Amino acid sequence: MSDTPAPTAPVADGEAAQIIDQGYRSYDGPRTGLAGSVRSVVRYSVRHTLGLGRPARHKVLPWLAVVIALVPAVVFVGLAVVLNVDLITEEILPDYHQYYGFITTALFFYCGIVVPDILVSDRRSGMLQMYLSTPLQRWSYLASKALAVALTLAVLTIGPVLFLLVAYTIEGSGPDGLIEWIKIFVRIIVAGGAISAAFTAASLAAASLTDRRAFASVGVILLLWGSGFVTLALVEAADMSANIYAFDLGGISDELKNRIYSIEGIDPIGAQGPGPDDDFSPGAGRAGLSTTFVAAANLAWVAVGSAVVWWRYRRLAMSR
Amino acid sequence: MAIVETQGLTQRFGPTVALDGLDLEMQPGVTGLVGANGAGKTTLLNAMLGLRVPTSGSLTVLGLDPQTAGYRLRGQVGFAPERNVLPDEMRAVDFVRHLSEVRGLPRSEARNRASDTLWLVGLGEERLRTLGTMSTGQRQRVKLAQAIASDPKLVLLDEPTDGLDPVQRSEMLTLIGQISRDFSINVVLSSHQLEEVERVCDNVVALDAGRLVACGPISELVGAGEGITLELVDVADPAGSVDAVVAALRAGGLEVRRHEATLALRGAAFEELCDRARDAVAAAGARIRRLDTRRRSLEDLFEDASR
Repeated sequence: MSDTPAPTAPVADGEAAQIIDQGYRSYDGPRTGLAGSVRSVVRYSVRHTLGLGRPARHKVLPWLAVVIALVPAVVFVGLAVVLNVDLITEEILPDYHQYYGFITTALFFYCGIVVPDILVSDRRSGMLQMYLSTPLQRWSYLASKALAVALTLAVLTIGPVLFLLVAYTIEGSGPDGLIEWIKIFVRIIVAGGAISAAFTAASLAAASLTDRRAFASVGVILLLWGSGFVTLALVEAADMSANIYAFDLGGISDELKNRIYSIEGIDPIGAQGPGPDDDFSPGAGRAGLSTTFVAAANLAWVAVGSAVVWWRYRRLAMSR
Repeated sequence: MAIVETQGLTQRFGPTVALDGLDLEMQPGVTGLVGANGAGKTTLLNAMLGLRVPTSGSLTVLGLDPQTAGYRLRGQVGFAPERNVLPDEMRAVDFVRHLSEVRGLPRSEARNRASDTLWLVGLGEERLRTLGTMSTGQRQRVKLAQAIASDPKLVLLDEPTDGLDPVQRSEMLTLIGQISRDFSINVVLSSHQLEEVERVCDNVVALDAGRLVACGPISELVGAGEGITLELVDVADPAGSVDAVVAALRAGGLEVRRHEATLALRGAAFEELCDRARDAVAAAGARIRRLDTRRRSLEDLFEDASR
């Protein structure tokens, strides 16, 4: 138990018992400053988002997303151990970069259902005003919230692939040599961080525009899935420039991951790039985009998402 | 040194003037910020926290400008808003601890002080309960606890007795007085209940439609004997005797405020008021139940301002 009981003064014989000192006293010690404020909001928000310290119904969706992202990795590792062959080299199991297909499903689910609550609930309940009555300012409050979302998303984007790396390494199917291992490790961190940043900015932007959690969820889902369908239709059916793929958040962040893994034109779930006989390969046109363009498009998603959130919160009046 | 100073502070929302050129000083102690709903109390509190940029004028709180030194200022200020902002699923002790950390206390210190503060406000046994299961009175105490847990120099309480029954209200006011007296924390208490402010506050700032009605020590503004209170028996024969008394006194140039059969008289010296009241009662055929000296109240301040 972390809570201290109320201290009481000793009572002399014959005196009526009473609480003399309730324990509250002045505090002259050090203060943690802005870093402490941000740390506390991040910790609280991560716990809130994952449903920790909340009733069971709040735990179901976030942990379902974690399960969706992680279970295939556990299965693959189990297969690797049972079959005892180098499953990656034999192309029986997906390589690290190919695992992101499973992660994307969890990511879309998490961003659409769980993330909007992190901003919407504070605005609806009035906690935002409480936070802004503390040393936190709008920018530091938003930075704390974004950091909390990015950290939880990073659990999904980095965690399972890192698990695969460690498990494959232990099992004997991992990278050859320390240098190769470190290369893969860095790619996992950078790719996971980049995807997490883009998805954080986009989903917070959608969540900042409405006080209704359901509307925010619909907005995020439309942004994630809708942008993919629309850009695909424009490029493939209307024969527009492949640069339009910049507006497909899921596709362009996946393409950035491919570039980080130094793989161009490979479908995330393992299909090979378009061959001469292929009539239609969704998103294959992204392979023709330059790496600079792909990186800039991802940065633009982060920048525009952040700008929308900031614009919305600058305009937000604190009345009651 | 004044804890809050404003000069020409004006806050407009479109055509609406929420604060109209306020010039005031709040001295240390408990200051009552009084006024009807819409008088500008919450707007002033928000301006003091730097949550609103004033349209014009200047404002300093604890010697700091909330707009330019908001970060430093809010580290020294606790705030309990009027509306219910408590997350239902959180335990009281966790909520107080979290906001103490956000206000700059180290984690272990925040944990201890959250518990101590909840004991202070009378929720020691309830500190592990979730906020959603607490009564309105308990939730108001939790709001007070989170405001003082980080040991601020100034606490802003927006309608802290809202929704409380008379017993809970009395307990809350006692607590607020204790916080100021025992722990030297300055308190600005916003309320539309004038009797609350008279009971617990050292100073008062009275607002009416964004304008300053009165500002200063409450002992100077209210309490001094002023006029008389005359309680009559509304006899059936002759009918309307109280109306007749009121009419006669007003005709004589006195200021009469009536609440059923109780009249508050002002406008002349005590002896003269008694004589004229006695004559009017005799002439109307009414009967006196009680005649007493009357103390000036905050209500009088607002009535004077509205004339």
